[in-house]
Amino acid sequence: MKLLEYQGKELFAENGIPVPRGTVVTSALEAEEAAAQLGENIVLKAQVPVGGRGKAGGIKFVDNLQYIRSEAEKLFHLDIEEFSVEKLLIEEKIDITKEIYMGLVVDIDTGDIVFLFSPEGGMNIEQVAESKPEQVFRLIVDPLEPPPLYQLRHFIRQGGFQGKILEELTKIASKLLHIFLKYDLLTGEINPLVILPDNRIIALDAKVEVDDNALFRQKFEKKFWEERDLLEKEARDIGVTYIKLNGSIGVIGSGAGLAMATMDMLEDMGFPPANFLETGGGITEDLMYNALKLVCKNGQVTGVVINIYGGVNPIEKGAKGIVRFVRERESPPIVVKALGNKQEECWEILKEGGITVITSVKTEDAVESIINLINSSNEKTKIVGEGVI
Amino acid sequence: MLDNETRAVVQGITGRIGSVQTAWMLDYGTKLVAGVTPGRGGETVHDLPVYDDVYEAVEKHGANATVLFVPGPFLRDAVLEAIDAGIKLVVAIPEHVPLHDVLQMKSAAEKNGAWLLGPNTPGIISPGIGKLGIMPGNMFTEGKIGIISRSGTLSYEMAGLLNEVGLGQSTMVGVGGDPVVGSRMIKILQEFEVDPETEAVIIVGEIGGSSEEEAAEFIKEMKKPVIAYLAGRTAPSGRRMGHAGAIIKKEGQGTVESKIKAFKKAGALVASKPSDVAVLIKECL
Repeated sequence: MKLLEYQGKELFAENGIPVPRGTVVTSALEAEEAAAQLGENIVLKAQVPVGGRGKAGGIKFVDNLQYIRSEAEKLFHLDIEEFSVEKLLIEEKIDITKEIYMGLVVDIDTGDIVFLFSPEGGMNIEQVAESKPEQVFRLIVDPLEPPPLYQLRHFIRQGGFQGKILEELTKIASKLLHIFLKYDLLTGEINPLVILPDNRIIALDAKVEVDDNALFRQKFEKKFWEERDLLEKEARDIGVTYIKLNGSIGVIGSGAGLAMATMDMLEDMGFPPANFLETGGGITEDLMYNALKLVCKNGQVTGVVINIYGGVNPIEKGAKGIVRFVRERESPPIVVKALGNKQEECWEILKEGGITVITSVKTEDAVESIINLINSSNEKTKIVGEGVI
Repeated sequence: MLDNETRAVVQGITGRIGSVQTAWMLDYGTKLVAGVTPGRGGETVHDLPVYDDVYEAVEKHGANATVLFVPGPFLRDAVLEAIDAGIKLVVAIPEHVPLHDVLQMKSAAEKNGAWLLGPNTPGIISPGIGKLGIMPGNMFTEGKIGIISRSGTLSYEMAGLLNEVGLGQSTMVGVGGDPVVGSRMIKILQEFEVDPETEAVIIVGEIGGSSEEEAAEFIKEMKKPVIAYLAGRTAPSGRRMGHAGAIIKKEGQGTVESKIKAFKKAGALVASKPSDVAVLIKECL
């Protein structure tokens, strides 16, 4: 779960990393009031949970208070990567003598926590990493034995710093590492971390992503931005993973791999998937009912393939949810392939409910079956249509 | 990894899933020696003694493997305990485990020379010997094919498809479906290469990460044939926010295309759908 910049900065400030003075506002009028408290030189920053905001025009510098309102208006009308701007962070403008990059991330490939540091931070850090890799320093952090302050100092010193600035940077590095570990972060990035003319050091931006799986032990859910897709939010409430796609066949799988394989086969057969939905290992009658309801909310869906295995999942209970859905609601054609523990019981329930059941192990049989069902129901519609004419 | 010397404990045996799955594992003929649930020592579940900690199960039964059904939030401590007690095969079933916990478990396993499968794994099954995990036993038969899978459900499908063409399985290892898991695919592949019970290996991979590309490096040196299937050609790639991901990312890895390319370059056969794997494997045996 990604935090907005101002939420990340709140987290930084609470844990001792200095950030600029600023206020979050939701209207141009509020922006004007907030700016008046901060001085003549102001930065307006659109709060959206994606990168590349500066390049998309989401940051405005204003040196005259009379323009704040109109500039804020412009930002509130902006869309950045599908996100409408609902909040602005109004901050004092900071004079910068140097931009630094500091970030912690989990390297998914190696399963390591990597501390990244570069004395050449700023918007072009990715190019720096490419053209001057020797200017990006890395430290692998053992999660069971995080590095003490002296190792961090040694790490930061590689960037060519000394004395008071080195000491201040080391403290910030230590705090960032503390935040990263304490709050279960996947990414904790300050870019740029800036040195001011008076040698103070301030975090000018905050990119923070928290592990969803750890939210049960983190207390700041309310601060998160809302999902842009209501269906994805509903999926979270049901307890499944859902991603909307552009095709017409709904997919429900009891594992991510199986769901993806089903999607790939649908695409190959010329019937692209309308969604990815994975139930995980928690299938119940209600979960399956709600998952089907969710998938069918997408108006593009003309048929649904359900592909499930009974390992940890009670597929016979899932079958009851499917039958209930078809009885209670208007349902597009559904094909269910179900194998594993209690498969016979599951098939029995589905067949009694009038559902097409695939008992073979080949997922393509289920894919072919749903395509045939859709084609034949299209035929029927055509005939009815002609009759009316 | 799983053989006649395996003496396994079930951590979280008194839970609903732990208890049900213990019955399935016993039915399948798995040598389980005890269960562990803190606070429930002295009870029995399916005639297995329950202890308060793993150390006692190791002392009294020489336990050397564990399969865990404890809830995600408690998994880390249970796994660290098992590793500290000297267990060398740790099968971590739960999903939704915090990533930082996974990193700690992985670090501990590496330091102590233990195999950690998962989290979010169906487990490991050697048909004819036993299973530590949640896979439906009826989908697997005895034979000579090894399977490494990132996906539980697809591993069941793969075994079922092999059964249809008369090929059983030596061992199926679920490495786990999470972005970071305890054991790298390449390590399991190295085990299969020296396993006398295995004649060919199937890799069931997915979009994301670089474990397939890494495994491909070892396939070049292997004597046994390898057939790969990769799911997720139509899956959308993740959205990213910071720069850190881009800085550490290795160029051109993680997509299904890059994985197919790596496998083909290494001399492995690549199937475009699971049922093609059975066809391809017939050709190379």
